[in-house]
Amino acid sequence: MTRKILLAILLILVLAMTVYGGFFRKFLVYDNLEKFDRLKNVGITIKVPGYENASQDFAPESQWFSEPDVVRAMTFEGIKRYKDGKLISNYPDLRMLKGRIPCPT
Amino acid sequence: MEKIRLKVQIACAALLNLGIFQWQTICFPVLNCHSCPTSIFACPIGTIGQFVGLGLIPLSVVGIVAIAGLTIGRLFCGWVCPFGLVQDLLYKIPYIKFDIPRWTRFIKYGVFASLVVAVPFFLTPAFPAYFCRLCPVATIESAIPWAIINGTTDIISLGIRLGILFAIAVAAMGHRRFFCKVICPLGAMLSLLNRFALVFPERKKGCVDCGACNKVCPMETKTGESNFGVYDKAPEECISCLECRDKCPTGSIRLWG
Repeated sequence: MTRKILLAILLILVLAMTVYGGFFRKFLVYDNLEKFDRLKNVGITIKVPGYENASQDFAPESQWFSEPDVVRAMTFEGIKRYKDGKLISNYPDLRMLKGRIPCPT
Repeated sequence: MEKIRLKVQIACAALLNLGIFQWQTICFPVLNCHSCPTSIFACPIGTIGQFVGLGLIPLSVVGIVAIAGLTIGRLFCGWVCPFGLVQDLLYKIPYIKFDIPRWTRFIKYGVFASLVVAVPFFLTPAFPAYFCRLCPVATIESAIPWAIINGTTDIISLGIRLGILFAIAVAAMGHRRFFCKVICPLGAMLSLLNRFALVFPERKKGCVDCGACNKVCPMETKTGESNFGVYDKAPEECISCLECRDKCPTGSIRLWG
């Protein structure tokens, strides 16, 4: 009986956790380009080859992501391949999630 | 039952890696690397490690694993996990069979706490000691295929991965389900919930304590002290393979606990 009561309590808790995480939880993800612009605005210069010329082509893409979107972004489906064979995320740099101290490099 | 289980394992390994579509917003509670070009679902351990690296807990992922653990316990380990199938097949190879000390099965909790949680949190998921960078499943499903497709310049890390895979394969040839018992961090998570699982082998009244179930148990659980499930001393290890039910002379084991 004790086992069944514990099971019921735990099931309710994990169901609530899964529903909240799967449908309601959101993350704000910054794009690297926006990070560069923000740092530029406070007087920090970052030299990225080609950025000055190409920056007009890219709009900042920071946006809210649901937890399943972030899960997908971390998996194979979330990555694409450059011509040189390197893998890159299809999503903005997830290390720039709000609350995480951005790395200036 | 063993033959049926083998067929189910093969079917599940194929289904999880069909590659015709990818549904990687969802984690399936088995160790199946999502960096594999053909995998359908995300791996819970890989996802947890990446989230922890961001200083977050993936509630939906932990929740899915917990729901699986609370309803069917480690049944997925026995019937669905592709690496469980690999280990079952490896054990059929004639090789020196050996026992391992009972305390070694606590290592998997340490692996989860250190390589899956502590390393990405305090260092980064890119750190060489992060679990996914050593995982034998990722080596089979991801590192080797990608190295063949693209070639690799990182010979050292690929060599380390292959060495770990080889060592685990040899251990699995000599000891049944070695990786599940000693190393698997997902097995550690599910083990914690196995005692509360809804679907769980249980002794009925006809049990005569002959110990036949102990002799065939791949997870080496023991029976005989109380009537809490079939396996009284290590129920957290039971993978519900039901080999014990097949061997029980009095038919006193049922799956629904």
